[in-house]
Amino acid sequence: MYFKDTGEAVFKGIGITNTKAVGKIKILKSASSEKREYSYAHNIDNEIMRTEIAIDKVANAINESSRRTMSEIGKSEAEIFEIHSMLLNDDDFLDAIKSEIRTGKYAEEAVEISAKRFENILLSLDDEYLRGRSADIRDIKNQILQALSEKEATKQDSEPYILVSDDLTPSQTVRLEKSKILGFVTFGGTPSSHTAILARAMGIPAIVGTGYISDDYDGMLALLDGAKGEIIINPSRKRKEQFENEMENEDKIALEHERYLRSLMNKPAVTRSGHKIMIYANIGDESEVSGAISNGAEGIGLLRSEFLYLSKNTYPTENELFEAYRDVAIKMQGRRVVIRTLDIGADKKIPYFNLENEENPALGYRAIRICLDRKEIFKTQLRAILRASSYGTISIMVPMIVSVDEVRKCKSIIEECKRELLSNGVEFDKKIEFGIMIETPAAAIMSDKLSSEVDFFSVGTNDLTQYTLAADRQNSMVGKICEENTEPVLRLIKACADAIHQNGGWIGICGEMAADLSLTQSFASIGVDELSVSVPYLLGVRGKVSECK
Amino acid sequence: MKEFKFIIKDKNGLHARPAGALCAKAKTFNSKIDVKCDGKEADAKRLLSLMSLGAVSGKELEFYISGDDENEAYSALLELCEQKLGDGE
Repeated sequence: MYFKDTGEAVFKGIGITNTKAVGKIKILKSASSEKREYSYAHNIDNEIMRTEIAIDKVANAINESSRRTMSEIGKSEAEIFEIHSMLLNDDDFLDAIKSEIRTGKYAEEAVEISAKRFENILLSLDDEYLRGRSADIRDIKNQILQALSEKEATKQDSEPYILVSDDLTPSQTVRLEKSKILGFVTFGGTPSSHTAILARAMGIPAIVGTGYISDDYDGMLALLDGAKGEIIINPSRKRKEQFENEMENEDKIALEHERYLRSLMNKPAVTRSGHKIMIYANIGDESEVSGAISNGAEGIGLLRSEFLYLSKNTYPTENELFEAYRDVAIKMQGRRVVIRTLDIGADKKIPYFNLENEENPALGYRAIRICLDRKEIFKTQLRAILRASSYGTISIMVPMIVSVDEVRKCKSIIEECKRELLSNGVEFDKKIEFGIMIETPAAAIMSDKLSSEVDFFSVGTNDLTQYTLAADRQNSMVGKICEENTEPVLRLIKACADAIHQNGGWIGICGEMAADLSLTQSFASIGVDELSVSVPYLLGVRGKVSECK
Repeated sequence: MKEFKFIIKDKNGLHARPAGALCAKAKTFNSKIDVKCDGKEADAKRLLSLMSLGAVSGKELEFYISGDDENEAYSALLELCEQKLGDGE
């Protein structure tokens, strides 16, 4: 940071999104780092009462967060709040706080000392999971301290603002009124931290890793530049005007670009050398179909079929599944719909499947491994897909394949379902396409043999990347390895493309890489036939293809 | 005084959720309920002390229940252990 004669303060960090924002900054103090001075005498009853009121407030807030998360995100995500709520009401914790207060500590100090003690106990345990719970104790401690300070940082903000903070915990972000936030600045954090992800999802600028920014700037006007990774606090009038002009221009360019992309929407995506790539959408359920079509999706490259299973307390019936798949097929009016069969496992759990917890769920009992074991569940879904296939163009795709043997087993189960439907006189598409996901290095290596068994491959790049590089994208310590090493994955995709093309089939990409515009050229060169991306990326990918060689 | 021993079979041991369930159940009784594991002792009505036992899969929990409703507490807790810390299915 440095000061200029003008009184401006500039902080630099890593920019997250390439947009700009102008607005007042609000510094959200991380409560524990605040220096406290007490202007009143210590009184045991008073401090205990303050603590109880604060805990009460936090308990209400946690219930509210839990309720919101449950309805907006899902039950398993809400469980974290259940644990918070239990910890908050724990007698050990409350007793420890009270006894600290009785020794003459103020409520804040007592909360901090007690939380630290339990954090340390948990950190000393042998078990990784329990050690992880120490973060939950920290989280609730910070919430209690925040409640004690009575500065409700996120309430009564009438004006939109740029949020500046140490780093945001999930419980803080869930309570933010998102429409009031112009951008984020965090002292610490990385491009994969929670705040950065949130900023990307909201499409607003953010900078992480600026280092400490003093409270003295709270409420001052600032210019936030995501592209440069820079925030200028208290800018001169001249600089502000210049910045706002730039913003206006960028908005204009963005608008024009969007208009240009819209003009391409109904034309096929063809590279300059004449290679055509189908632009498909990844969707979770039928509600996303109209958005996909209005953004030019030529098909659905990935219909995640879990939604009906996740939203219920017991197995959905064949009819329920059939109706859901049929609705998507009808809405797509003959365009191809690739339905991926059930992809659940220890990482994506459904309670009534009664799956055990696993040490290493990514390498565990999941997806097709479960379906081949629990054949009746698999057949119910396959029959539903087959029945829906007479209402449009449906393809069946199975996830997590490693061997030819698995593919043959899947095919024979599908044949079994077809025979059952035939003998009952039920209609279905006799030429229904069958394909597999390429998510494991094994499948990519065996692609020459697998290609003669199937009509298409669809590459799930998220898993293929993590299995190829032995690095978890979500883990901030190694996530970079995934970002920096796309070549091994591209080579595997190339091998798959060559193999399937020899057998007259097609290959698509449905993982997150498909939306990465810096890779579109590589996919075009490899000869990829389809890119399937979530709805917001459809137009951009289509535009990029037409710029490719 | 009633007592029983239970070997944790669930792979994940006495984690936050089963510990929470155990704690919530224990709180519904008047009896004093102590749990021992590996020489450490905890009050079953206190979540953090239960979690601090670090009771992983394969460890033996010893329950000591004493009070006017010890019989009810005994059967309720035994059942809960089998449900939450047993083989799973």
